[in-house]
Amino acid sequence: MIKGEQKTIDEIEGMIADYRKILVVGCGTCVTICFVGGEKEVANLASSLRIKERVKKGDKIIEEAIVKRQCEREFIAEIAEKVRDADAVLSLACSIGAQAMAENFPDKPVLPGVNTTFLGLIEEPGKWSEVCSACGDCIIHLTGGICPVTRCAKSLFNGPCGGSADGKCEISPDVPCAWQQIYDRLAAQNRLHLMDSVFPVRNWRSFSAIGPRRIAREDLQVPKAEETT
Amino acid sequence: MKSGTNLEKVLDSGAFAVTAEVGPPKSCSASPVERKGEAIKDYTDSLNITDNQTAIVRLSSVAGCVILKRIGVDPVMQIVCRDRNRIAIQSDVLGAVALGIGNFLCLSGDHQKFGNHPTSKNVFDLDSIQLIQNLKMMRDEHKFLCGEDVSGDVPLYIGAAENPYADPFEFRVNRLAKKINAGADFIQTQAIYDMPKFEKWMKMIVDRGLHEKVHILAGIIPIKSAGMAKYMRDCVSGVSVPDEIIKRMKDAKDPKEEGANIVIEIIEKVKKIEGVHGIHIMAVGWEDSVPVIVKKAGLFPRPAKQAAVN
Amino acid sequence: MEDLKKGSLAKDRQVPPCQAACPIHQDVRGYLSAIASGDFDKAMRVIKETNPLPFICATICAHPCEDECRRKNADDALSIRSLKRAAVDFGSMPRPSPVPKNGEKVAIIGSGPSGLTAASDLACLGYKVTVFEKESFLGGALAQYVPLYRLPRGLIKRDIDAIHKMGVEFKQNSALGRDFTTGDLKKQGFKAILVCTGLPLSRSLLLPGFDMGNIYLALPFLWDVNFNAKRLPPGKAVIVIGGGNVAIDVARSALRAGAEKVKVACLESGEEMPAFPWEIEEAKEEGIEINCSCGPKCVKGKDGMVCAIETMAVRSVFDREGRFNPTFYEDRISIIEGDIVIIAIGQTADLSFLKGTEKPVTDMGKIICNPDTLATPCEGIFACGEVVTGPGMAVEAMANGRRAALSIHQYMKGEALQIDEPKPFGSLDECVISAIKRQSRQPMPLLKPEERVRCFDYIELGYTKEIAAQEARRCLSCGAGARRIEDKCIDCLTCVRICPYDVPIVTQPPDNSVQIREDQCQACGICVVECPALAIEFNSSLFEDMDKELEEAMSQKGSKIAESKIVLFYCYFGTYSIPGLTHFLNCGLPTEVKAVKMPCVSKLGVSIFLKAFELGADAVFILGCTDEDCIYAKAALWYKRHMENARRILKDLGLREEQIDTIEISDGKYHDLGNRLIALAQNKNVKEVTI
Repeated sequence: MIKGEQKTIDEIEGMIADYRKILVVGCGTCVTICFVGGEKEVANLASSLRIKERVKKGDKIIEEAIVKRQCEREFIAEIAEKVRDADAVLSLACSIGAQAMAENFPDKPVLPGVNTTFLGLIEEPGKWSEVCSACGDCIIHLTGGICPVTRCAKSLFNGPCGGSADGKCEISPDVPCAWQQIYDRLAAQNRLHLMDSVFPVRNWRSFSAIGPRRIAREDLQVPKAEETT
Repeated sequence: MKSGTNLEKVLDSGAFAVTAEVGPPKSCSASPVERKGEAIKDYTDSLNITDNQTAIVRLSSVAGCVILKRIGVDPVMQIVCRDRNRIAIQSDVLGAVALGIGNFLCLSGDHQKFGNHPTSKNVFDLDSIQLIQNLKMMRDEHKFLCGEDVSGDVPLYIGAAENPYADPFEFRVNRLAKKINAGADFIQTQAIYDMPKFEKWMKMIVDRGLHEKVHILAGIIPIKSAGMAKYMRDCVSGVSVPDEIIKRMKDAKDPKEEGANIVIEIIEKVKKIEGVHGIHIMAVGWEDSVPVIVKKAGLFPRPAKQAAVN
Repeated sequence: MEDLKKGSLAKDRQVPPCQAACPIHQDVRGYLSAIASGDFDKAMRVIKETNPLPFICATICAHPCEDECRRKNADDALSIRSLKRAAVDFGSMPRPSPVPKNGEKVAIIGSGPSGLTAASDLACLGYKVTVFEKESFLGGALAQYVPLYRLPRGLIKRDIDAIHKMGVEFKQNSALGRDFTTGDLKKQGFKAILVCTGLPLSRSLLLPGFDMGNIYLALPFLWDVNFNAKRLPPGKAVIVIGGGNVAIDVARSALRAGAEKVKVACLESGEEMPAFPWEIEEAKEEGIEINCSCGPKCVKGKDGMVCAIETMAVRSVFDREGRFNPTFYEDRISIIEGDIVIIAIGQTADLSFLKGTEKPVTDMGKIICNPDTLATPCEGIFACGEVVTGPGMAVEAMANGRRAALSIHQYMKGEALQIDEPKPFGSLDECVISAIKRQSRQPMPLLKPEERVRCFDYIELGYTKEIAAQEARRCLSCGAGARRIEDKCIDCLTCVRICPYDVPIVTQPPDNSVQIREDQCQACGICVVECPALAIEFNSSLFEDMDKELEEAMSQKGSKIAESKIVLFYCYFGTYSIPGLTHFLNCGLPTEVKAVKMPCVSKLGVSIFLKAFELGADAVFILGCTDEDCIYAKAALWYKRHMENARRILKDLGLREEQIDTIEISDGKYHDLGNRLIALAQNKNVKEVTI
């Protein structure tokens, strides 16, 4: 799922400085699960900002709202009134949700309270790690179910590089060497031969090579009025 | 002949090659490169110019190579995948060949985390093996990666690095084979201190006959002090320094001399190992040691240099 | 009472096993939780909700609840009856809430536990109730026969006075069949009559020699001891025949009445004896000899007076169908010597008042009635209690009385009766049991055996408030803890991962979602605080109460405008273990310090800390237990972590981290706590903050 981290109070304070009535909007999906933008975090951040106002003797009004999925127009619509009343929206959703808010309320400044960090997996409570870059061309069938694009610090397709030692990546003893993991996994599956041939140069068209990516599926598109007649 | 460089000729002649390394300055001054090159050019067959090694910004490798070329050195241009995509790399290679550079060492590159721009964004459009493939394709098929033709010859002598001490050890020879299959003509290894492990690795190479397909140059880093030895052991990834060497350095009256002795012993040993066709001395910041070592190791004088064909 | 008004005793729902096992389904968990917080008045209110006889039950209830307490799987069951005793000792009887009268009159014949319960319930339902009692005093068998050392009569009076205050009228010296008839009552406008006359007659034995002098029946003997201060001549040995509770009452009373030696002879083996095990144990402590598995054959006499009984060894007491049908080894004879024999082999009803009734209303000495509605064949006449059920626990008689009251209510409204008995939660999982911290039961302090046999003084001394609170906090709060709010839960699995007791699980497809097993929950509250979607709430109002208490505390104005406002969250489980501390926190703190109590500070999350600051607090302190003392697994770890998080936020907000801190309860020095907290809040240099 999408993982994020809340921005610092300082940063958030800077963003909201010019507005009086702030609506803190959480999202009930990914960011709830990673403890940055669910109902509890919205309440805690709003509470923190109100404490700050009390201490500063400021007059900001901090309101709270939660949207089931902030990336969906229909769910966002439910808080339209609250958004209209606010001077700015502080979104605690991922950037997708925050951008959806901005799309839906084009006249309202939308401030990101969360940094969208990565697509990741929970290792254990309180620990998440990035495992997918959404590169658009999955090859993990060849790499033991481990994505080298994301999990190798150099995104090597023909690793491990010379910096792999004791199962760790040269960049940090906390980071496992993805290619050692791939090697171990393939060895366990008796498929090490997959590492013997040179993995050809990657076609990045599915990723960053063509600008913002879009998916258009005609089979799913709802026909417009004139098309149905 | 693939590129006709001095290095290629020396290796093809069956002589025991000696290469070394010149680190370019963090300035636009040619003189440090010239000075270092002058000091060691007679004791070596070729000199590498590093490409922003450890991700610290320095004078570019292509420029460094041209400076060396001007003083009669056969340069080896290092190329890392960290900073350039396939467009920039192919362009630089064309330019470098045009400027008379014939040897290229293909590396993935140290992660930018270690350098002086740790907040930069890396590229890694290609990895080192794909880069080797890319160069071989330009040379042998006269084609760019995209499949379009390169007009005219692209004479290249393609090198790669390999670290016998990295993990998983049992895969390192396979990876070397991948580099050979991709098109590597010569290999410069990480610094050798742990001789048994290197011997084991070389034996695996010889057993597979890979030493006949590629020239392996054993990496040598002269040690200045016990502190440096420890630092190499603890902080430089992929280097294995046995305790015995650290002890010898610690006990030595003249550590520099002892360091040279250790390196010379290592060279003596690697010379005897089947499949090792040369050494590559990485005395970055201590280039003066190269002449002494080369002489003491009985590798001086070097075969007479010949100008590149192109 | 709410349930009662809705026309059912309890909805079809799962309740804690203690509550299900209680014949009147007392909210045991509710009053134990009140006691754990030191609120004995609240405990009394909870008890009185379902129990009209708290003083009586606190004293003599056979507590079937304790048999089902799930804590027994970890260490010992809660001492529930003793805790009820603490509630009546320290709490005040709540005033009855006024009930609009419906104008209908009901007569109740008999003032034993079933009659009193029915009277109270019917009064709650708006009936005008009159209780007719044959004797000059109220309470039925409890007042007549239960020995004084078990039930001081003043306690019965407390319960009856409370029922009287509800408007129930009592008419003593009024016996059905002697002083009035059911017809008379109907003429007086009583639409329904409830007969609960109990089992006032002792059974006797028709064996050789049982016509000698110095042979008594149990109930007349107990009556004599209770009302006529009967004393036995010195130096006599008493043989009590029987193995039930009455036999033990007789034996222990005989001892107190001056018997030199008391020997009980019963048919049953030790395990089969129907008397409660604690009664037998206490009797043994007092020196009473119990002879099991022996059946009386005859009485041996000398000069017309008893000198021994001859008994046969018992082969079996019950037949294959479990019916009482003793068989003997007739050749295995033993002699039990003694001077007085008291027969305590059971009681029977006195149905003489039924003479002349037109319909057959008795069967084998019991009144015939529909077991569900308790209606007799005579229109408008109901019966309940032991006269219907045979001998049993007082609380069973009370339940029967409640059933009768409800049935009468239904009869008056002309609707069908429906009673759903609540179902108990299943047993605790092994994984939950293993995570429960062990803590053994607090024994009820008793008079020493040598002291108690000399007189009829009440033998139980009762808990202190502190011991009661300590015992009550052992309650596992079955089912009072976490509940998943289905609409809000996003199955993030946080609760599944963090619960120290592995209570939340993931269900199998097709549901395949998080399930919080409410019946397994230990109510530590960690999941409620951790849930990022705020999708877990408590089955009790604990969290809401905590919020409310904080809001109230913060809105209070001190006598003078206080320089600073300090919130002190404290665990009342822990503070109660230090004598005087809870009282100090309630009354002894300076006005600047607002104390907010809760059952374990594991319920404190970042949100409530921030809320305190939002409401104007200058500092927040937490008085929790050490990990060792905490009743919950890992609670200390979690609340400290939340505190650290809140401190980080304070720092980010430009406040001082030290504005939130913990204080561990370790010893009794707390008298200058208030001043130290103030100093600490004002950032003065105070080194010692532990108390």
